[in-house]
Order: sequence, then C-alpha cells, then structure tokens
Amino acid sequence: MTAVTQVGKGIKPEGRASRAIPATAWLVVPTGLFFVIFFVLPFALMALLSILSGNPLTQSNVGFTSRSYERFAADPLYLEALWETLWLGGLTTLAALLMGYPIALWLARMRSKTGYTLLLMAVVAPMLTGIVVRTFAWMTILSDKGVINVSLASLGLIDRPLPLMYNAFGTIVALVHIYVPFMVLTLAGVIGRIDHRLEEAAISLGANRFRAFLEVTLPLSLPGILAGSLLVFALTISAYVTPYLMGGSRVLTLPMLIYQQVSASFNIAFAATLGVVLLAVSLVLLMAYNRIISQVSGREDLA
Amino acid sequence: MKGRLRDLDIGATAFRALNIAILVFLLGPLAIVAVFAVNPLPYISFPPVGLTTRWFEKFFASEAFVNGLLLSLKIAVIVTIISGLLGAAAAIALARGRIPGAKLLISAFLAPLMLPAILTGFAIFQCLITLGIGRPIWALVVGHIIVAVPYVIRTTLAVLSDFDKRIEEAASLFGATPPRVFFEVTLPLIRPGVIAGCIFAFITSFDQFPVSLFLVSPGNETLPIVMFNYMKFDLDGALAAASMVSILISLAVVLTVDRLVGLRATMNL
Repeated sequence: MTAVTQVGKGIKPEGRASRAIPATAWLVVPTGLFFVIFFVLPFALMALLSILSGNPLTQSNVGFTSRSYERFAADPLYLEALWETLWLGGLTTLAALLMGYPIALWLARMRSKTGYTLLLMAVVAPMLTGIVVRTFAWMTILSDKGVINVSLASLGLIDRPLPLMYNAFGTIVALVHIYVPFMVLTLAGVIGRIDHRLEEAAISLGANRFRAFLEVTLPLSLPGILAGSLLVFALTISAYVTPYLMGGSRVLTLPMLIYQQVSASFNIAFAATLGVVLLAVSLVLLMAYNRIISQVSGREDLA
Repeated sequence: MKGRLRDLDIGATAFRALNIAILVFLLGPLAIVAVFAVNPLPYISFPPVGLTTRWFEKFFASEAFVNGLLLSLKIAVIVTIISGLLGAAAAIALARGRIPGAKLLISAFLAPLMLPAILTGFAIFQCLITLGIGRPIWALVVGHIIVAVPYVIRTTLAVLSDFDKRIEEAASLFGATPPRVFFEVTLPLIRPGVIAGCIFAFITSFDQFPVSLFLVSPGNETLPIVMFNYMKFDLDGALAAASMVSILISLAVVLTVDRLVGLRATMNL
C-alpha cells in the first residue's frame, strides 16, 4: 500500500507503490548507529582480540596468532567446560519443555478471559523477578538447612540432609525455574494458532482425548517445541549466576570460565576466545530459532 | 459413552493437578523468600518462628545495599527513557519506512535477547580496556540499553502490525500533514506498545545481572551485583529483604503504569 506520509507530493494510486523511501525510514538511524557502535563493533573486536597476540593500541609488533584456539582445543579442562555447558543446557531445556508444555496447553486452550489473564500473570510474575533473587530463593529451599531438608528431617524421613545443592541437580532446578516462562510463552503462541477443531474432529471420529492430543495437537505444535527449546537452550548456556551459586565447585561452565579468565588470570585474549566459542554456538541457535519462528508466523517478532 | 466420559474426567483432573503443581513450582519460591524476609532467625532456616522487620532495617542501614538500590533505580530510569525513544523510533521506521531488508534488521535488533548477555557486557568491557577508558557508568547504561531496546522494538512492532495502516492514510486524505499524522494518529496508536516495552526495559535494567557483571566498577555496583557478592559469603534475612525490596519496586512500576494508562490493552500482545 502506498505510504501516505508523502501526501504533500500527491497520493499515488493504490497498487502502484512508489519506490521512494518515506521520511519515517530515517527514524531507524539513531538506533542503528547505537547498535553498530555498542553491539556489532564490540563483538567484532572480541573476535579480533581472540586472534591477535596483544593490544594493537599499546603494543607494537602485534600479529595474528591461533594460540588461544590451540590452547582451547588442547586442554581437556576447556573442552569439558564446553561439554558441561551444553549438557546442562540440554537437561534444563528438556525439563523446561516437560513443565512448560502442560501450562502452555492450558493457557492456549483457556476460554475464560479472566482465567487467561490470571494464568498469564502467574507465568510472567517470576520474570519480573531478577535471576539473583530467584537463585537466592532456590538456595533457601535446597540448601542443607533449607525448606526441603528441614521438613524431611522433622518428619523423620532422613537423618542427613540430602545433597540438593552445590551440584548439577540444584543448578538445573533453579535454571528450569528461571527459563520455563520463556518456554511457556513460545509454546502457547504456537499452540494458540492450531485450529481447535482439528482435535475435536479427531475426538468425534472416535479417538479419545489423549490420543487426539498425541496424534493431532502434539505434532502440529512441533515448531513451538523446537523454537522454545532453542530459546531456553541459548539462554541456559549463557547463564552465570545460577551455575556459580547453585553448582558450588562441582559445576564449571563456559561463562564462568570467561569471568575467571578476566578476573583471576587477566587474560582478556583467552576470555575473548572462549567468548567466540560461546557466541558461535549461540548464533547457530539464534538463526535456527528465527527460521522456525518466521515459518510458523510469517513474522519474526514473536517470542 | 459413559465409560469414555469417566476417562475424560480422570484425564482432565490429572491435567489440572499437574498444572497446579507446576504453578506451585513457579510461584512457591517467591512466597518462601517473602517468609524469610520477616522471619527473625539469624540464618535462613525453616520453619519460620515469628515476625520481624530487622532484615529490612539491616538492608536500609547497609550503605552497600542502599547505594546499589539507588544506582540501579537511577540507571533503570535513564535506560527506560533512552530505550523507549530509540526503540519506538526504530519500530516506526521498520514498520512504515519500507526499508529494504527490514526483516533482517529486525532480527539484528532482537538478537541481544537471545545472544549471551554476559558476552554483551564482556564485549563492551574489552573495548573499554583496549581503548584504555576504564569502566565509566555510561558504559553500564549503554550495555543495559542494548538488552532493553529489543523489548520496546518488539512490543511497538506488535502494535504497529495490529492496527490498520489505512487509519493513517485516511488522516492524510483528509488533509493532515505528515507530521500531524505522525503526532496525532500514529503516536497515540502505538502508545500502549511503547509503554509495555518500557516496562520490560525498566525491569530488564533494574534486575540486570549478566550485562552488569563486567561493567560495574568498585563503588559503582548495582543492587543485583551487591546481592550476588553478599551471597558468596553469607545467606541471611537481609538478602530476603533485598529480594522483597526489588520485587516490590518492579511490582510498583507495573501497577503504577497500569493505574495511569491501563495495561489490559498492552498485555494481550
């Protein structure tokens, strides 16, 4: 349709859209510049630093080197951290999917307007709380003197506190809590677009409700499952606070290593190398996610 | 028929029970923090034994906590204003400007939501170090804006794609000049989207941890960073009080905005 912002020059007949770009297009410039300077360039510099032998502004004789990447590939510590990061991300994603799906289905199928609003608020409420606060909440529940261990001990069910925290288990529980809402919102968006009548048709043809769900709704919601999983996985592998506080010394992930390299080893070049590895994984996830979302909705602004 | 009905009821009941269990998992931890904030025992312990305000007193008496709270609030306000302007402007341009490759630009602007926020902070940090600038507060603000703007762009775009472009076209057919169309038609129509995005921007900045991690400097630490440093050594009720203060501020912002402009229209995005 013709842009009417050019009305001063006369309105063009509908259908013959003008090629000229309207004045409103310039509104993107400030944000674009801001992103280039403070987002694109910093990431480019990070990639550059990871292959330079020093700081080109303060040192002479700075050349290209692959030593940081060789160090990453040669030391099992770093590969294990990468593996542990991906593995924690995978388990968290799976748990978030199992928990998020029922809620998303409930939300998408809710007929009452009030019920919908209340449930949506319950899902969004944890998102209004910072990750530090939510990690703290799980520490009060899972620690040795926490709610679960004290309750079980007072009931006489355990003699010693269960090891619920300072390990992968506690880390995953808290991470799931933090990222389930993202899964629910993505899934509900996709399930909501599935025609309700398809499932009803299956039921009227003799399938029971469970089978109708399993053979109609579940396959149709597959793009939502994929998109939600990619999103939660991407968010989980970049988590720092939760693995740090809930994992104790037993969990070492890539983001923790990056911070260590800066704060303890002052090795920014190697931190940049680890950053590039993490960024590469995330970029692949992001592209896959955008592709799925745009296929489902024809729009990329849904999440 | 009767048998199937019973099946259905059992299934529906199980489905509801499962969902309620998941809701307890989602909301329970926040309720527990509220209990610990008023429980007088010196360390986090269960069950609660009474009611006290000592942890809130300890929070407000601590210079580190109060300075962190004030800095977080100040930064969140600045970030919200700048993100609101940048995000709304970009969204209008992307939806109405017929920019070639707008779809790609939108994905680029939304990328900070999915790319590791800790790297957004680190990337800016190593720029500052390489240039020898140090860690000024404006860098912290800039980092927060990068992760806050996408929310404003997304909510504003959602509103823009919902309302009919022909409303704007009708206004100009009746003789409104382009600036008048913009200020009297487009702007009022996108307001709910911008406001919803600004709420997300405020909360993203106020609760921000990963971006801040590399960008705070000693003496200029935001509340989540102060809490994190405290948690490394001590777990007492002051942390629960700090948590409640930050939850209540987020809630107050949402409720105030709701009272002023009504969120009902903006939440169904």
